[in-house]
Amino acid sequence: MRALLLALALLLAAPVAGQAQTAPQISGTPTSPTPMLPPVADELEVLKALQGGRLEGRITIPDQQAASLIQPQGRSWRDFHNVTLAWVGGIAVLGMLALLTVFRISKGRIPVEGGLAGRTIQRFNGLERANHWMVASTFIVLALSGLNLTFGRHVLLPIVGPEAFTAISQWGKYAHNFLAFPFTLGIVVMLLLWVKDNIPNGRDIKWFASGGGLVGNEHPDSERFNGGQKGIFWITTLGGATVAVTGYMLVFPFMFTDIAGMQLSHIIHSIVSVLMIAVMLAHIYIGSIGMEGASDAMTTGQVDLNWAKQHHNLWVEKELAKGRGAEPPASARAAGAD
Amino acid sequence: MARMKFLLDAERCIECNACVTACKNEHEVPWGINRRRVVTINDGKPGERSISMACMHCTDAPCAAVCPVSCFYTTADAIVLHDKDLCIGCGYCFYACPFGAPQYPRVGNFGSRGKMDKCTYCAGGPQADNTQAEYIQYGANRIAEGKLPLCAEMCSTKALLAGDGQVIAQIYRERVQRRGYGSGAWGWRTAYRETVAI
Amino acid sequence: MLIKRSEARAGKQRLAAAYQGLSSGGLDRRAFLKQAGLTGVGLSALGAIPLTTVRPAQAGPMNHQQPVARVKNICTHCSVGCTVTAEVQNGVWVGQEPSWESPINRGTHCAKGAAVRELVHGDRRLKYPMKLVNGQWQRMGWDQAIGEIADRMMAIRQSSGPDSLFWLGSAKFSNEGAYLYRKFAAFWGTNTVDHQARICHSTTVAGVANTWGYGAQTNSYNDIRNSKTMIIMGGNPAEAHPVSLQHVLSGKEMNRANLIVIDPRFTRTAAHATEYVRIRPGTDIPIIWGMLWHIFQNGWEDKEFIRQRVFGMDEVRAEVAKWTPQEVERVTGVPGAQLRKVAELFATQKPATLIWCMGATQKTVGTANVRAYSILLLATGNVGAEGTGANIFRGHCNVQGASDFGLDVATLPAYYGIDETAWRHWSRVWGVSFESMRARFDTPQMMHTPGIPTTRYFDAILLPKDQIQQRDNIKGMLVFGHGGNTVTRMPEAQKGLEKLDLLVVADPHPTTFAVLANRRENTYLLPICTQFECDGSRTSSNRSVQWCSKIVNPIFESRTDYRVMFDLAKALDGAAQRRNMPIRFAEEMFRPYEIANGEPTAESILREINRGAWGSGYSGISPERLKLHQQHQDKFDLVTLRAKDDAPAEIRGDFYGLPWPCWGTPEMRHPGSHILYNTNIPVKDGGGSFRPRFGLERNGTTLLAEGSWSKDSEIRDGYPEFTVAVLKRLGWFDELTAAEKASIAEVGTGLGGEDRVSWMTDLSGGIIRVAVNHGCSPFGNGKARAVAWNLPDPVPVHREPIYTPRTDLIAQYPTLPDRRGFRLPHLGQSVQARSNEVARDFPIVLTSGRLVEYEGGGEETRSNKWLAELQQDMFVEINPRDAVARNIRDGQWVWVTGPESNSRTRVKALVTERVGQGVAFMPFHFAGWFQGEDQRRRYPQGTDPIVLGESVNTITTYGYDPVTFMQETKVTLCQIRAA
Repeated sequence: MRALLLALALLLAAPVAGQAQTAPQISGTPTSPTPMLPPVADELEVLKALQGGRLEGRITIPDQQAASLIQPQGRSWRDFHNVTLAWVGGIAVLGMLALLTVFRISKGRIPVEGGLAGRTIQRFNGLERANHWMVASTFIVLALSGLNLTFGRHVLLPIVGPEAFTAISQWGKYAHNFLAFPFTLGIVVMLLLWVKDNIPNGRDIKWFASGGGLVGNEHPDSERFNGGQKGIFWITTLGGATVAVTGYMLVFPFMFTDIAGMQLSHIIHSIVSVLMIAVMLAHIYIGSIGMEGASDAMTTGQVDLNWAKQHHNLWVEKELAKGRGAEPPASARAAGAD
Repeated sequence: MARMKFLLDAERCIECNACVTACKNEHEVPWGINRRRVVTINDGKPGERSISMACMHCTDAPCAAVCPVSCFYTTADAIVLHDKDLCIGCGYCFYACPFGAPQYPRVGNFGSRGKMDKCTYCAGGPQADNTQAEYIQYGANRIAEGKLPLCAEMCSTKALLAGDGQVIAQIYRERVQRRGYGSGAWGWRTAYRETVAI
Repeated sequence: MLIKRSEARAGKQRLAAAYQGLSSGGLDRRAFLKQAGLTGVGLSALGAIPLTTVRPAQAGPMNHQQPVARVKNICTHCSVGCTVTAEVQNGVWVGQEPSWESPINRGTHCAKGAAVRELVHGDRRLKYPMKLVNGQWQRMGWDQAIGEIADRMMAIRQSSGPDSLFWLGSAKFSNEGAYLYRKFAAFWGTNTVDHQARICHSTTVAGVANTWGYGAQTNSYNDIRNSKTMIIMGGNPAEAHPVSLQHVLSGKEMNRANLIVIDPRFTRTAAHATEYVRIRPGTDIPIIWGMLWHIFQNGWEDKEFIRQRVFGMDEVRAEVAKWTPQEVERVTGVPGAQLRKVAELFATQKPATLIWCMGATQKTVGTANVRAYSILLLATGNVGAEGTGANIFRGHCNVQGASDFGLDVATLPAYYGIDETAWRHWSRVWGVSFESMRARFDTPQMMHTPGIPTTRYFDAILLPKDQIQQRDNIKGMLVFGHGGNTVTRMPEAQKGLEKLDLLVVADPHPTTFAVLANRRENTYLLPICTQFECDGSRTSSNRSVQWCSKIVNPIFESRTDYRVMFDLAKALDGAAQRRNMPIRFAEEMFRPYEIANGEPTAESILREINRGAWGSGYSGISPERLKLHQQHQDKFDLVTLRAKDDAPAEIRGDFYGLPWPCWGTPEMRHPGSHILYNTNIPVKDGGGSFRPRFGLERNGTTLLAEGSWSKDSEIRDGYPEFTVAVLKRLGWFDELTAAEKASIAEVGTGLGGEDRVSWMTDLSGGIIRVAVNHGCSPFGNGKARAVAWNLPDPVPVHREPIYTPRTDLIAQYPTLPDRRGFRLPHLGQSVQARSNEVARDFPIVLTSGRLVEYEGGGEETRSNKWLAELQQDMFVEINPRDAVARNIRDGQWVWVTGPESNSRTRVKALVTERVGQGVAFMPFHFAGWFQGEDQRRRYPQGTDPIVLGESVNTITTYGYDPVTFMQETKVTLCQIRAA
């Protein structure tokens, strides 16, 4: 009994176990006959011997996934999906929304100190902005369709009914699968465009130490991107890459991995995604209604000089030194210039 | 009302695959979709056992629990079925299923998943019984005709039993008592959180 | 909204009631079927299928509003004989239901049986006649095809004689088809007519017939339920006969029986054994003698049985004494202790049965193997009783019947042989003169000369004319229902096929015969329907004959065997007339039959069989009785196969399928013989004794039984076969009726006096009737022969395979010297001598066998989408150690090369411990790739099987059994390397 279990364990653990240790025999002479043990292979005992691994065997159909007979990990994945992910996602998203609400109420909109200068400085060029919005828009659709898979059943389904919900989810799935590609492209371009300005350095520590200027009224020195923005950058690129890679694992089922890999991919994909969603909520808030003058950076690409000095003083100095610094506002141009 | 289950007696299963082709035959299941399959563990060694596996129609079915669109339902006979009109082919049920039962036709771009297909316990789907619409989407509905799943009915050695859980457990129990050995009802702990006490 | 609508409530209540039967009956689910099987009603509509000449291969969901016809037929795959219940609507086979009533399969099937519906409407079938024109397949009409074929046949006959046409028949024929084909070959004037039995159990037939009388399974699948010990040696029924395992495993469970598997390969069957013995391939006789060594040593043999019913056991003792445990272990690799245990179980835990298949038979020592197995059964007294016997699992669905009806180069139907008495008998049955039959042969002598077996057809094409003992080489082949990849040495076969003047392949699928060779002309494909599309009877391995009702009309333009043979006979008449040849066929051959829809009816052919096949007891098996058995299948007992007391009077007491011998006329109502040679019951109830076929005494020792007789026999000792002379001596002659006497007298005129008329040649059945009335076996009561002096090895001796890795054993255990047989040279030692060199370069023993998903040559099953999906690649099983040594991973492509013709095959490696080190296994169902070349384009468009692959027989080698020319497929040598 014990021997059989051991044998089973060995067999299932090592794919091709028991290689040649004995001297070569005359061809055709059988290896020593194998006495039969009383055939007992209880499911539970086998699973115990496997220590929770998958129970796999041989099949003749080409679909190698079918060789997995029982995978108890399905239950763990179910727990993750239905419990862990729901809590983590719920807390992350709702928690961030709550945090932002509290912040808004306590601090209000962050103004540009000293008011708008009226003169602007080019912060992001067309390519940068276009790429940003490609990533942003796809991210939003990906996020919503992703969240729908986890929460829609409880939130949306009771409202719209099963047929409509399936239609929404089906389109959501298509959108999720297809938009993954522009999203990934955008992440790569983003990395290439901005990585040189996002190398962390000592100033970032100070920036964080002073709370990014949000705590108190001191403004820490900052180059093109401050510590917080660098954080967003790295979260976006690294998190995006992680989400992309794990996402492709899921879009191309079993092309790169087996069921365990699929489950793991899904776990990483979903956890990283909800955390990114939470971070992006903050990013969106700060970049739009949370801070005066911030949204210009990604709309017109021209930011107010005072805003820039306030948040990216070192960068402004460098830009001005390069001589292609602040431009007068459009209204200040000579009439008929265009 | 019966509580329908499958029970596989691994001491009897010889990997003849009758269950597999009976299923294909009865439901005209297309190439590449394997509602039922036979897996041999310990291949070529003492202790080799073959096990025929399909959807076990679990108690508290994991597929139903994780389905984002709630397309699963359980019949009065405790058969776990799903509505293909609601399924979006996300693959979640495959991640959760301990038995690898859900199958997906490859459709469209980059072999992505179509609507999930799985063993129906020969009980069709949500449409009216034994209509052509039901047949095309889910296959035959033998349960409505008072018959049991064809895989079990045609099992060459009567290793695969289908029917009310208590009844087939009793058949199995009697078998084990008569012959003096048995490796347990495969998948029962995982699917039904119980086993057949001998 | 997601709650299932439940009109089905009523159905479910019936289910609940049905479970009662399930639980109390344990294994018996018949109660269930009665309640469950009668409810085919439902909804929806399906357009009627238009019936045109080309019938569409359409299947579809059943229309539950229309009536459904249920038709019973028998699975066309293996020999178990599972009933197939078809549901038919509008002439379309729409569903398959479990056949609960059948005592053989009780509702169940294997993968193949559960997929047979697809065989009929499979769209890869051959749809219309075709021929090769300049290497391209061209569609043609039936009349033209048959006409051209007939003309070419006659041309061959005119230039080379009748023996230059090879009549290759099929184990897929119905009994009636097989019989008709044999009769056709006889009317053509040749004995070169053969079928698959040559390559599966010809050595079994020769071996057991030479031991105790008949070449057939002695007991039945069902009777295995009575066994206490079962040895399966050289067989893998879990894959080859899956439904038989239902009985084997039930028996094992109910009796807590020993199930011992002796095989070089740890098979799916071995997985269920209580004891598995791994042997070196080709060492069966040392194993049996090694067991007998222990049995004799310990006095476990059945001394009383041997004394009463066995001749010559002492000579066996002398041979067995050489096989000490040490020598057995040296030769076979099996340790003495294990073999002692097996021997003790087999000899002492009785009843015990020995089950074998092609692992025993497909050897150069096949007949000797079978003889040794039989002797083991005799020594332990395990023959002729319930739970005992030689349970020989035959291969194809009707290989037993096709053997019984003489698709064999050395016998006429029912094992009458080909001597003058036999020809006179069958001429009489056919209503033609013996002389006119003789005139159809090339020379009178050829009428009594065994023909050329299918294992050597290409040698008969390729060898110089002077080496073949007939007028000319083989020039043409008619191939009905036979794969071209089933015979060894395929590179030679390819050359041979290329040289033929005429090749006709009549089959539902274009078999390997059609595509293997690079032929450009004179090659015809005739679409024959499956047995599901025609009526007829078929005989399963246990000798039960089952009537098979046509399920649907032949689809596409396919036709039945009966029709094609009838049309061919007529066309031959025309061709002969045009050539001014006197020979004619149709009128004389088909006169006895009832013709309906342009073809002879199966019933009328079976009635002719009834009138002639007394020798194997097919005389009592009338179509009417068989149809009653089909109708009342549920009335037969699962274990005894006997119709129970609640059965209708006309079948009560019958054994299911009237397992032959079913003595006398149908009116005698003999129940059939479930268990052969069973002395425990009277002959009239299916009992019997061993058949004395080889004289009455040998070297002064009697060959008749001593002190043993079947129950209620009035002769309480051994006795010879019954003739008129014997009847007269016993004073029973006047129990014959006047009509019987008149018939006998008429027969006697051709045999030199009525006294010489025997039970076999008496057309009235009177002699049999009188003998059975007195409790006697018509064939006599003799001893089984432990010594068969007419065989090359009267007592089997071990002979190393032709290609053996153990070259050290060749000197001690050489194969037979070179010789001749069946009109051809037969090499032995001169080829074996090559082993000394070959074994160095080809160190791995190659053996072959079956997969459950495919059957035979595999064309039909590989074209079945439900089966083809399950095995998509040809493979070789290789032991992990051999694989590691060759750097081969599981699943990768490898070349397997053989020692003859530079043969090679490209297959996938399956690294597994199923095979021991130094042994490789390949399945034999694949074809369509040849030595790395994909031949798919050579199939007529749309008829290529879904799955193609290399054939193992591309690399199998020379080696033939001396008695039957059985090929050696189980032991040869090969080399494997990564591709």
